[in-house]
Amino acid sequence: MKKIKKSGKLVVGMSADYPPLEFTKNVNGKNKYVGVDVELAKQIAKDLGVKLEIKNMDFDSLLVALETGKIDMIISGMTPTAERKKSIDFSKIYYAEKSDYFVISKTNKAKYTSTASFKGKTVGAQTGSLQYTSLKKNAAKSGIKVKGLAKISNLLMALKSGKVDAVLLGELNAKTYATNDTSLSLVKSSLSQAQMGNAVGVAKGQGDLVKAINKTINDCQKQDLFNKKYIPAAAKAMKQASSKTNNSMSKYASYFATGLGYTMIITICSITIGLALGVIFALMRLSKNKLLHAIAVCYIEFLRGTPQMVQIMFVYFGVGMLIKNMPALAAGIIAIGLNSGAYVAEDIRSGINSVAKGQTEAARSLGLSQAKTYRYVVFPQALKNIWPALGNEFITLTKDSSLVSVIGVGELMYETGLVQTATYRGVMPLFITMCIYFVVTFILTRLLNYFERRMNLTSSRA
Amino acid sequence: MNKIIEVKHLKKNYGDKEVLKDINAVIEKGKVITVIGPSGSGKSTFLRCLNLLEKPTSGQVTFEGTELTDLTEEELDQLRQKMGMVFQSFNLFPNMSVIENVKLVPMKVKGMSDQEAGDLAHELLAKVGLDDFADHSPASLSGGQQQRVAIARALAMQPDMMLFDEPTSALDPEMVGEVLKTMQDLAQTGMTMVVVTHEMGFARKVADEVWFMADGYLLEQGSPDQVFDHPQSDRAKDFLAKILEA
Repeated sequence: MKKIKKSGKLVVGMSADYPPLEFTKNVNGKNKYVGVDVELAKQIAKDLGVKLEIKNMDFDSLLVALETGKIDMIISGMTPTAERKKSIDFSKIYYAEKSDYFVISKTNKAKYTSTASFKGKTVGAQTGSLQYTSLKKNAAKSGIKVKGLAKISNLLMALKSGKVDAVLLGELNAKTYATNDTSLSLVKSSLSQAQMGNAVGVAKGQGDLVKAINKTINDCQKQDLFNKKYIPAAAKAMKQASSKTNNSMSKYASYFATGLGYTMIITICSITIGLALGVIFALMRLSKNKLLHAIAVCYIEFLRGTPQMVQIMFVYFGVGMLIKNMPALAAGIIAIGLNSGAYVAEDIRSGINSVAKGQTEAARSLGLSQAKTYRYVVFPQALKNIWPALGNEFITLTKDSSLVSVIGVGELMYETGLVQTATYRGVMPLFITMCIYFVVTFILTRLLNYFERRMNLTSSRA
Repeated sequence: MNKIIEVKHLKKNYGDKEVLKDINAVIEKGKVITVIGPSGSGKSTFLRCLNLLEKPTSGQVTFEGTELTDLTEEELDQLRQKMGMVFQSFNLFPNMSVIENVKLVPMKVKGMSDQEAGDLAHELLAKVGLDDFADHSPASLSGGQQQRVAIARALAMQPDMMLFDEPTSALDPEMVGEVLKTMQDLAQTGMTMVVVTHEMGFARKVADEVWFMADGYLLEQGSPDQVFDHPQSDRAKDFLAKILEA
């Protein structure tokens, strides 16, 4: 609480793809967070007398983000389960839903009439959500196969493309999606236990903050602000967001542009880091010093042997515990740069090894020192072999920068997700993004080929 | 006696394999020495131990009064400048033009200006008859021409002696002559030379001394006539008989 007051800023984490509780809306080409939870967050910030900042991330990442101090509180339709209570504290319930609903395609309305009719079928749910847990817990009894995805928009896409037979959502969500998309239909679920409702999550040991939040909630409930003001406002925002005119992709050009901008920043910075590290580790690996060699081998093998997605999350959450307030963008760049360093090191090493041993011997026999031999004889020749491999690495890196969307960096893939939730269109934004990536990598390839040709020209002139 | 190199109890092992077994020899300034012997006898390894491209397992190599085997890399770099070396496979730098090959080390090590190094390089290339090819790439030259450039490159460091490691073995027969001619011209300038070779005619005609090596030993040392006409060891008799048959 002191920290919040001191910084004058309340950072609230949410998974803004959960209308009408929290979602995004395009206002004059700019992205705005709206919904019931956002209204509540505004009220809490107002009562605390600080500014509100919203951090959008996957629902799964919220708890870790709170524990590592990336955010001050979670307001994201979160239910205070006993398990969650082990790691964080909750405010009192501010809103309770009555039950869950299976969202199905209208054409299957006759086929699915009750929870029992989903036996042997695949039902999707948002990973980490209460519905997901409830499906998992009852899987044996109900005979339902569970498929978890991180975003509701992706779940609905899966439903439409037949990957899942139904999607289990909370009441509020289910009803709003069904209202906005007439091809959907609802079946009430009998699986879930009594709904506990939603509460605000805060890190452990902040009694004063919980007290302040509860006070705001009490005030809101007293005035019935949820039903009278927040929910209608959210519904209106949703209708606007989903209206046909607002759905055209051209309106969201600025989203893609912002995303592309960040993607380029990440790519360029990571390539720079990767190149620097690559040279260092390649030389270490080629070094006669056993310790340096061993360090380089360990680094390269470890970075190449673990998934990049895990590395990104580890840097953001793990290293973020040591360095507080590390921005997600910086974490993403560092993680990708570190990973790239390992691959670049191997490209450089194999390039250097491909230079004939006689070249080094000739240079050394003339009295050239080892360092100068590398600089004037080996490296210029190695570069010709390294360049194509390096080019591949750059292109891979450009594409892999999309992975940092998992920690909420606003690059292209992340912005695509926003457009998907804002427009209720799953495929079109993906297609556009695909084209953008292709154009970028295509230009990059041409550029690299141009330099490769130039290099061959200079070395083969007669 | 004006000795430029003295080798004492030189031994070289590769793992368990003894390639050189106790070599003792002296090379006098201005002498041309050709080293002959069957393949695998250790001739090339011996030559590469003289400028420490190969590190001897034991023994001493003294060059112009300095014992080489316990020098640092930096001190070795200094001394290697005075021992030019020419390799079987030329080893020209393919990413540079002919003249750049010759200029590189004088500029980078001796700190010569581009102009100075260029003048020197042209002079040396003219000496090996290749000044017209100064701006060509090594790959566009014949093997014989490449080897002559390699000789010019080694001479650009103005060495006190030259080491030749089978300089004509990788050449087409018609190109052997031009390289040997260049080497013969060089010998006439009084350059100290150690030449590992299979060219027996050259070995006999140009050398002041012929050394015969077999099985890691230096078995015969003497004037060309002595070694070729009156070999002492059975190994040398055997080797020469086979060579002359062919």
